[in-house]
Amino acid sequence: MSESFAVDVQNVSKSFGTVKALDGVTMRIRQGEIYGLLGPNGAGKTTLIRMIVGIVEAHAGTVTVLSQRMPNVAVLRHVGYMTQAAALYPGLSVEENVRFFAAINGAEKGVKEALELVELYERRGSVVSTLSGGMRQRCSLACALVHKPELLLLDEPTVGVDPQLRVQFWESFRRMAEAGTTIIVSSHVMDEAERCQRLGLIQYGRLLAEGSPNEIRAMAGTQNLEEAFLTLAGQKAS
Amino acid sequence: MSGHRIAAITRRLLQGFRRDRRTLALLFVAPIVILGLLGYLIRGSASAPAVGIANEDQGPLGPIVASALGDSTMIKASAIQAADGDSRLKDGSLVAYIFFPADFSARAQQGTIAPEVHLEGSQPGTAGPVLQALQQALATIAAQRTGSSLKVEPKVIYLYGGPSLDRLDYFGAAFIGLIVFFLVFVITTVAFLNERSQGTLERLMASPLRRGEIVVGYMLGFTVLALIQAAEVLTFCLAVLKVHNQGNVLLIFGVEALMAITAVNLGIFLSMFARTEFQAVQFIPLVIVPQFILSGILFPISTEPKPLQLVSDVLPLTYAVSGLRDIMIKGADLTWTSLQIDAGVVAGFCVVLIVAGIATLRRRIA
Repeated sequence: MSESFAVDVQNVSKSFGTVKALDGVTMRIRQGEIYGLLGPNGAGKTTLIRMIVGIVEAHAGTVTVLSQRMPNVAVLRHVGYMTQAAALYPGLSVEENVRFFAAINGAEKGVKEALELVELYERRGSVVSTLSGGMRQRCSLACALVHKPELLLLDEPTVGVDPQLRVQFWESFRRMAEAGTTIIVSSHVMDEAERCQRLGLIQYGRLLAEGSPNEIRAMAGTQNLEEAFLTLAGQKAS
Repeated sequence: MSGHRIAAITRRLLQGFRRDRRTLALLFVAPIVILGLLGYLIRGSASAPAVGIANEDQGPLGPIVASALGDSTMIKASAIQAADGDSRLKDGSLVAYIFFPADFSARAQQGTIAPEVHLEGSQPGTAGPVLQALQQALATIAAQRTGSSLKVEPKVIYLYGGPSLDRLDYFGAAFIGLIVFFLVFVITTVAFLNERSQGTLERLMASPLRRGEIVVGYMLGFTVLALIQAAEVLTFCLAVLKVHNQGNVLLIFGVEALMAITAVNLGIFLSMFARTEFQAVQFIPLVIVPQFILSGILFPISTEPKPLQLVSDVLPLTYAVSGLRDIMIKGADLTWTSLQIDAGVVAGFCVVLIVAGIATLRRRIA
């Protein structure tokens, strides 16, 4: 392997009972890349992300993150993970939540910056249980990036976030990627997919297609990504 | 009111239960288990309290009463030397001994029957059968001597405690341990379960935190709360309820603290096996009730049926209750082997549960 990848997934498979969540997936994600995982609900996006952070172990295949074979606890210091549902402590304030995740990563200095990035600095004293869904999502994002990870995994980060803030989210993702952070983001919102440098289309636990948004459109011969996705998914299914 | 809508609610409720096999099992199995346990414990108590009979009577009456006591089904009588009596009470092989002094027959001639009843006294409910058996045995002599009046004046001597101890004094010592254990267990189980259900445990797993750090961090946090609670419970029992205490308050607190830490770790460990708070609460009848019944709080363990004694021997609460009674009623200190064993076993439970909690955390998340 000449080039070093931030994430190197080789031929991984995982089943839950009789359900094949992932079936021989191989993907390599370069450092500083924004990689979009697209696919319908239940396609295996979350399982793949959980495998990359080492919470789920593959039945077959290997996952390498920042040159470390997963699961590996030490490498997680450089990984940020935002779960699908805003996983926060409802009884703590915004700042207390962010401070906690900063502390377990040894990065207390980043709290203010993270709060400002998600525009919750003014609301830092609010208890999470009193916040709206969108604000919780923002707080959750702050918790995931407070330690300035080299690899940021975002599982549907913009669910419940209003359009203006979504634009700001993506602007910060872009800036972070330019600074060298690798970002893997799952989504089924197609206008978000446009903002990714590369996309992986996942269905039934398989990687159907991979490439830049333009390449994906060209592959399917369609004008927009949504149609491209439906076309590609339909071809494989039949 | 619409019958249709009400029926929808009722149906929905029962449908949910149909898939929650565990709750159903609990609903129908737990009562049988608990009542069966109680029934077996109370009716099946084959082992009557062990009572020593020390007969030094130079007259004929002592042997007669002694053999009547030997036939009694209420106690398990055995002949002992009067000099060994107190040490046999201390080592726990006897709960009481009855002593007929040399002048027993002589005094009976004069109309007074005065055996000595020595009770260990630290456990409730043992004095009853002993005194009752004695009464019955004495009734046989009284029946032989109709006419002249006979005064029965057994002299009751307590090794620990005494007649001034009431039920609260016996149960208070045990309840201090039970209450702390129960509440800490419930709070820990639910809190750790929340960590899982709100998704933050997944986040912790995807952080540099090690599993041992999570379990120990939890343990310390809840231990702080538990210790404050233990101090409060103890103060209330001693200062307001005036529960009898012979021993060092700090020692009581030490045993309570060990108990609390055990409960924290048991809670963390068991929360791995519950998916909802509802299921977590179900651990109460499974974990707390049997301990309450079998830890010697209500019935002395020595009088339990043998198979149940084996169960009692593996319950942490058994040792905590025994330790607390040792301190509060007997005035035990750390030089007592029995207290060393009790404290050691409770501490051992702690360690085992911490390791089990860490091991289970690994398995349940992967």
